[in-house]
This record gives sequence, structure tokens and C-alpha cells, in this order.
Amino acid sequence: MTVGGGPVVEEEKAEGFTIPPDVKQLGIIAGVISAVILIFPGLPAVIKAVGLILALVWGMDSVRKTSKYGLGTGVPSIGVLAMGYGIVGALVGIALVSKVVSKVGDSVLAPAAALGGVLLMGVVGLVSGVLSNHEKIIGMKIPKLEQGMTELGMAGTIAMLLQFSIVAGSLNFDVVLDKAISNGLIAVMFILSCMAMFHPYNACLGPDERRPRTMIVSVEVSGLLCVILGIVVAAVATTTWGVSGVVDGVLLVIFGAVVWLVCFVKFVRMCFEEAYSTVGTGMIKTIE
Amino acid sequence: MDPILILVCVILGGVLASLGVHLLPVGGAPAAMGTATGVATGTVMLMFGAAMCGLFTASSVATFSDNILLVSLSGSVGSWLMMGVTMLVANVIYVFGTGIVPVSGRVDVDPITKEPQKAYKTPQCDGHGVPNVSYISGMVGALLGGFGGAIMYFGLLNYAHFEETMAGIAAMGIFVANAIIAAYNIGGTIEGFQDPKFKRLPKALVSCGVISLLCGVLVVLVVNLGGLTG
Repeated sequence: MTVGGGPVVEEEKAEGFTIPPDVKQLGIIAGVISAVILIFPGLPAVIKAVGLILALVWGMDSVRKTSKYGLGTGVPSIGVLAMGYGIVGALVGIALVSKVVSKVGDSVLAPAAALGGVLLMGVVGLVSGVLSNHEKIIGMKIPKLEQGMTELGMAGTIAMLLQFSIVAGSLNFDVVLDKAISNGLIAVMFILSCMAMFHPYNACLGPDERRPRTMIVSVEVSGLLCVILGIVVAAVATTTWGVSGVVDGVLLVIFGAVVWLVCFVKFVRMCFEEAYSTVGTGMIKTIE
Repeated sequence: MDPILILVCVILGGVLASLGVHLLPVGGAPAAMGTATGVATGTVMLMFGAAMCGLFTASSVATFSDNILLVSLSGSVGSWLMMGVTMLVANVIYVFGTGIVPVSGRVDVDPITKEPQKAYKTPQCDGHGVPNVSYISGMVGALLGGFGGAIMYFGLLNYAHFEETMAGIAAMGIFVANAIIAAYNIGGTIEGFQDPKFKRLPKALVSCGVISLLCGVLVVLVVNLGGLTG
């Protein structure tokens, strides 16, 4: 199976972070790698999918660290918030790219302007974090909620932009509008990225929740997202990658399926191994 | 392109979303066991569902009408139907399935119908089901929330010249973000306007106003940079 050869290598990369760096490192590593991948929309879809998985895992990690203190509204709320911001941020990102393209022509570095949308959404996330955590306003009293919401806004935007880039093969406003937004694909992307962010912690939370196990669920859901995006790419079959889009899409489907299968099997095995020794713990953590 | 009109529509949508959330009877997990008043799900799910239904009706009407009031009110009707059916079916399940009386846990006498509440409340519980006052409150909340979502959609569609899908999904994104911030303000559960938590409303309105303003500015930025014109 020569076709499967490529994706398997990628899959090892994706699996590499099941031995996770700590929360701070993961944010920086995932943010930088996915931002770099974002700058080059000409890359094969599989590489962009790796960036997408990293961004979603980063988002999931932020969801985990903010909602472990108890949000009161359930874990999904903050994941949906992240992608709600992600959509607005991604629209700003592609608008910035098209502005740069119209000013300086179609240079290689034009897509880097999309990072402006990421930063702006980080600011909005920071403001909403401050508003929700400030004692005189909403007063949620969650440590580092400001940082968490900033990261969520940024991760959501990067994830959305990478999905645009996978499906449309470009970050130009008109192309994205034509190939990823007006046909309604954006709704699928929205809800599946939400799932990849909030579902892992929502499903795994409990007394013996363990970060690597939660993380592997996120990678698994991202795998499913990659399968769907792959089918879309193969069907729409137009990326800027040299070889025809069909190959790109099929590779992405295989990559997503392999990631999903490996992570799912691993997750179930982990659950079996860890389920026998669950012990009770104290109350939900709050700051004094 | 009218930046002011876009900002007004987005801020109005966000603030109405926040107000709508405060009026819905949201029970959360305790309501799933019948031990708290409200529909047994989270604020986000209820408001998201209501807003989506509102957007469906509003976007259908927007295909043949340019009247801002007609489009927004049709959004209200969509959310209204969704919330009405949800609360009714939840009550049917509570009454005929679980066998509990819909009763408010926060007030002793229903402020609208003057029905006594306290005598029907199970001790140690926080109310059950969706009582009349919460039902009416929820209907008003859905009306306002749906109106907010639809007016935001209308603003994005006609003033920002977004394409239909893009306007819908962007309106949904901004609406949901505001609804979630409002949900954090009430700590996840609320009965309706009779709940003491409703007094926290101004804080959420201010927060949502600020966040909607920022989102509105970003929308204006998209319109300017993306070169969207009618």
C-alpha cells in the first residue's frame, strides 16, 4: 500500500504528543507550529491536518484548565465560545489576507496576515476573560480564566483558518467564501471543532481524570474531522497543491482514519487499564 | 456600508441575547432529576437551539423581505416556537413521566397567576418542572433572544453585505458567545424573572455590550478589508 505510506509517518507525529509536554509548553509549541503551518496554504492537506490537530488539542487543553474549577454551565459552553470567536476571528483573518494580496500582490508571505485575525481574537478573548473574572462584573473566580479565554480565542481562530486552508487551498477571501463558507461546510467545521475541544474533557471529567487520556480523545475527534474534510477535499478537488486535489483528499481521509483508529483503540485500552482503581476525591477546587 | 448600523445591530443582538438567557427557565443537571425548576439542559443548549430556529425562520423571511422589523420578528417567532415546544414537552415528561407538579422553588406565590407554590414543593428540592411563571418568562426570553439573533443576522446581511451563509454563521458565533457570557453570570441555572439571580442582569448586559461592540468592530473590519459592497 504505497498510498498509505505517507500518512503513517504523519500519524506518528500526531501520536508524539501522547507523552504530553506540560500545559504551558503545549500552548507555545502547538501555537507556534500551527501558526507556521497556517502561513503556507500551499502545503499538502495532511501537514495542515497536523497543525489542525495541534490547534484543537491546544484548545482542549485550555478548556480543561478553565473548566476544572467548575463553570456552572457545563464544559461544552466554553468550547462553543471558543469556536464562536474562532469564526469571527477567521473571517477577520481572511479579510486581512485579501487586503494584503490586493495591496502587494500575491506574495508567498501574504497569508501571514491571517495571524492578525488570530491576535485580534486573542484581544477579544482577553477582554471577555477579564469581564467574566473581574469581581465587580461577573466574578467567576476562576484562576487564569483571562489566559484561558485568550488561548481559546486564538486556538479557535487558528483551527478555523486551517480548516479553510485545507478545504479551499488558499486563505484568500473570495476563494474561501466560495469553497468553504457559502456551501455551508463552515457549519460542519464549526460543530466538529467544537466537539474536538469540549467533548474530551466533558466525557472524561471525574475524580481520576488524566490529561494524556483526555488529550487522546481530542486527537481522535480531530481524526474524524480530518476524514470529513478529506472527503470534502476529494470531492471539491481543488487545492493549490501541485498534484490533483483528489490525491490530497484521499491522503487526508487515510490520515484521519489512521489517527482515529489508533487513538480510539488506545483510549479504550487506557480506560480498561485505569478503570479498576478509581478512588473518590474531595470537592471541586475553588480559590479562597 | 454603514458602520454605525452594523454596530447597532450587533450590539443590540448581543444585549438581547444576554437578556433572553436571563429569562429562560434553565434547570441544568438538577432538573434532569426533577429536583430543580426548569428545562433539564444547559443555558447554551437552550439558547443555541432557540437562536438556530430563529435564524432559520429569519433567513427564510429575509429571502423575500427587506423589512428589518419583519425579519427580526420572524426570528422571534422561530425561537418562540422552539422554546414553547421544548418547555411544554419537558413539562409533559415531568408531570406524566416523573410524576411531579411543576412548581417554582424561589417564590412562595406565583407572581403572575397568584397560585400557591410552596405547598406543592417537595422538601429538600429546588422546585420542579416548568411552572406557569417560568413558562411565561421563558416565552418572553425566547422572543427577545430570537429578535436579537435575527436583527444581528439582518445587520450582517444587509448592512455588512455578508453572503447568506456567512451572515448566518457569524451571527450565530457572536450570539452564542454573548449567550455564554450571560450564562456565566447566572451560574448555569435560573428560573426566570422571579429568580433572585435575575438581579445580576446589569452586569451581564454591560459585559455583553462590550463584547458585542468588539465583535461589531471586527465585523466592520471584515467589511472594509474584504471589500464587501452591496
